[in-house]
Amino acid sequence: MSELMKIQENLRETARKLLANGEASLVIGYALGSEVSRVVPAFISREDEVDRLVWNPLCINNLAKYLLDYRHEPGKVAVVVKGCDSRAIIRLLQDNQITREKVIILGIPCPGLINPDLVAARLDPGAQITVAAVSKQDFSLQTGEGTFTFTRDEALLKKCRDCEQHTPVIADFMLGEEIPPNDPGDPFVAVKTLEELPVEERSAYWDKQFSRCLRCYACRNVCPACTCRECVFDQAEPCWVAKANNLPENTAFHLIRAFHVAGRCVDCGECERVCPVNIPLSLLNRKILKDMKDLFNVPTPGTSLEELPPLGAFTKSDPDEFM
Amino acid sequence: MKAYTITRDNLGAWLDALARDYTLIAPVREEESVSLFKPVSGFAEINLGYTNSTVSPKGWLFPQTEEMFFFSTGGDQITLADAQTPGPAVLFGLRPCDIKGILALDPVFNGAYQDCYYQKRRQDTILVGLSCTRVERDCFCTSMGGGPTDGGGADLLLTEIDGGYGIEVLTPRGEKLVNRYQQYFDADRENRVIPAREELGKKLAGHFTRNVDTTGLKEFLDQHFELPYWGELARRCLGCGICTYICPTCHCFDIFDQSPDGESGVRSRCWDSCMFSHFTRMAGGHNPRPTQKERVRNRFLHKLKYHRDRYNLDGCVGCGRCVTRCPVNIDIRQIIADLQEVARHE
Amino acid sequence: MSNCRHNPLKPYPATIVKIIDETPDVKTFQMVFDDPAVMESFRQKPGQVAQLSVFGVGEATISITSSPTRKGILEFSVKKVGMLTSALHCLEPGTKVGIRGPYGNHFPYEVMKGKDLLFIGGGIGLAPLRALIDFVLAEENRGDYGKIDIIYGARSMDDLCFKYDILDRWPQMPGTTVYTTIDRAEPGWEGHVGFVPAYLEEINPSPENKYAITCGPPIMIKFVLQALEKMGFSDDQVITTLELKMKCGIGKCGRCNIGSKYVCLDGPVFYLSQLKQLPPEF
Repeated sequence: MSELMKIQENLRETARKLLANGEASLVIGYALGSEVSRVVPAFISREDEVDRLVWNPLCINNLAKYLLDYRHEPGKVAVVVKGCDSRAIIRLLQDNQITREKVIILGIPCPGLINPDLVAARLDPGAQITVAAVSKQDFSLQTGEGTFTFTRDEALLKKCRDCEQHTPVIADFMLGEEIPPNDPGDPFVAVKTLEELPVEERSAYWDKQFSRCLRCYACRNVCPACTCRECVFDQAEPCWVAKANNLPENTAFHLIRAFHVAGRCVDCGECERVCPVNIPLSLLNRKILKDMKDLFNVPTPGTSLEELPPLGAFTKSDPDEFM
Repeated sequence: MKAYTITRDNLGAWLDALARDYTLIAPVREEESVSLFKPVSGFAEINLGYTNSTVSPKGWLFPQTEEMFFFSTGGDQITLADAQTPGPAVLFGLRPCDIKGILALDPVFNGAYQDCYYQKRRQDTILVGLSCTRVERDCFCTSMGGGPTDGGGADLLLTEIDGGYGIEVLTPRGEKLVNRYQQYFDADRENRVIPAREELGKKLAGHFTRNVDTTGLKEFLDQHFELPYWGELARRCLGCGICTYICPTCHCFDIFDQSPDGESGVRSRCWDSCMFSHFTRMAGGHNPRPTQKERVRNRFLHKLKYHRDRYNLDGCVGCGRCVTRCPVNIDIRQIIADLQEVARHE
Repeated sequence: MSNCRHNPLKPYPATIVKIIDETPDVKTFQMVFDDPAVMESFRQKPGQVAQLSVFGVGEATISITSSPTRKGILEFSVKKVGMLTSALHCLEPGTKVGIRGPYGNHFPYEVMKGKDLLFIGGGIGLAPLRALIDFVLAEENRGDYGKIDIIYGARSMDDLCFKYDILDRWPQMPGTTVYTTIDRAEPGWEGHVGFVPAYLEEINPSPENKYAITCGPPIMIKFVLQALEKMGFSDDQVITTLELKMKCGIGKCGRCNIGSKYVCLDGPVFYLSQLKQLPPEF
């Protein structure tokens, strides 16, 4: 049995036990989606439904933020997290959005995910993945029609290329064997390339990106650092950003949002994934992440529960060159 | 109806001429896997290698943000001045599903109260359709009464044929446009355009990977407003506006004023989304659709029932955009299938 | 395709001619269109609404509280709750505003002919009812209707809207009885004390040959409807008017739908029997 399938078994068993003994009232995980290349967030509250839970290289969504929907309900909620998603749990805990006692963290060491578009291009959409495996070289997906192999080089999801933590940084149940962090190389290559451009070119680059923003707010809604009770972009009075969709307002929206999550963005990459017009939002957030690391010498936010966001804490050694 | 042919070279020249004489709106490749309908200055900017644009082309007729009028208050007078309208335009490269989308919007902006902004743009815009040459994985137009070469509603319909494109004239307005640029067109002497399109349509019909059956669904929904299904479905909804903004038939909007000095300014409208929590929230705080369950249900009932109740038209044309872009796999095809399943058990 | 002769989304300029302070948070604005021809052609029916513009701030849907029998002027009673209504409250007489409408259906005053009418209002909810009350009490219409009973309540004396109408003008009209109540006793108030639904039950009007028309806070309406049912009113004898967030007022912007119905086109006035057919999204 592949490690992925062992994890899936383990996940189902753990979920079954948690629901059976009443420890958890809900398990949030992944289930097969409407097509072979898609999975859906699944909300399992009955034992006889736990076999819907799956673990395969298409489980991209960060499920942590769904915890907010249940924070006022009685009972504990168990949630499946990968390494990157686990930083979002720390984000929500540090921001006092959720309480540790009410959450059961089901950690999955994740070896990296597959680009669903490639899966969609090769597999029959109606097929079902029955077995999945990942090796150092490739992904293999087995359906009723055979086994399909994708080399890691071609198929690894973009956000996984710079993966910092395969293994969740926080978990109550670790459902697989820990995967040691590999050396992802420099995650800021793209940021540095852009930084080196003359200011006019950088400005033109972002103008082109922001001008096609639809202001659908998917980036905000999916973001585990965006938890304001009333978002500034929804406020009518005062009106910080007008409803008009144009370059100045769109730019204001993205820059304000980037600064609101500065030092708190856990670099889960969900904003970029959900953007319907492919705005490279991770690049924007990573610019700030890079500056934070340069200024405060901090790890990526969400790496540890003890390490508070540098902009949310004061120390005497904080840089003060603006004073 | 008449048909013509046009060579690839002449198509480029014709589009360059159209861009000179009209505002030409056509599909442009913005980024990898992002194509949008935008005003273009000529053929060179147009990308015909798309199947579905990322955002529907409704935005030309119903812009995401549209200035309605300017106001200025001075002394004891108030003056309202109409905003400029863009004038004659050609919307080129509309896929059949998007043409149907426009037909679904028409009655919304028509009726007892005429929406002048939409009407003006609609009257001033010639619609040039383009038959599909491939079926994307999320396409399901044939399930919603359309077809990949079914261009009804356009003024002209282009179809790729050997050596170029065939052009079918569907309206007198289309005829006039062809006559104005007749130097680019050849008569379809061998009568091959229509058979070629029909042939293509038949071929593509077999390429749809997912067909859905809406038979009886509206009648079921007429009787069943409360279903636990909606609550389950809404659990994963992010409450973002992706589906509504890229949809060819969603038409909700907001109206707002901008006035830098408090004395003069502009009143505009912009797309709004029934998925947003504040969409129906009243000033006093009451919200008739307080949770995502009500909002998700409203959107799908709008597509599958309300639009048919009001206009006797499907509110979904099967373009598949929302299926492709929803970050949490809320797939209207699956919803239709699920609801049919629920109906069988009722 | 038809031509657009008139742009329904563009308001007509109007002027605030008088502002009456009704309560600490309700003001009545008397407005007149700047163009007398517009004033003449604006033919609202009781129960209809209009979109009021404060230029630079926006628009809000407000019911027209004056009766169409009162020519040459429009009245809007506005409670300060949101951005637009707060802006309106800051205005002075003489300020230019915009009005478009009238929108929506109206109270079925034709059907009501020959009947007794029971009005039950709470707080600012009297505003839309007042248009119909003054319509049926107008000299030219009074003979068409039977007895008029008006039950009206507010939280306190201060919160009673249209004090002149309820305490002075209407009680003097022939065949008209006004029952006024406030939620809690206070010095200087000698009238009834208690909630509107309880007062209604105390008065216990007969449903015979009668229509009941009610508007007020949702919680009041809920208990009024229960009380009316207990007294034997059928769902076709009970009429209410709804308030939902609206933007366009003309059935385009997609915001005020309850199922397939748009409140701006198919409402705001509904028989209880109609409301019961609609999904509970109001």
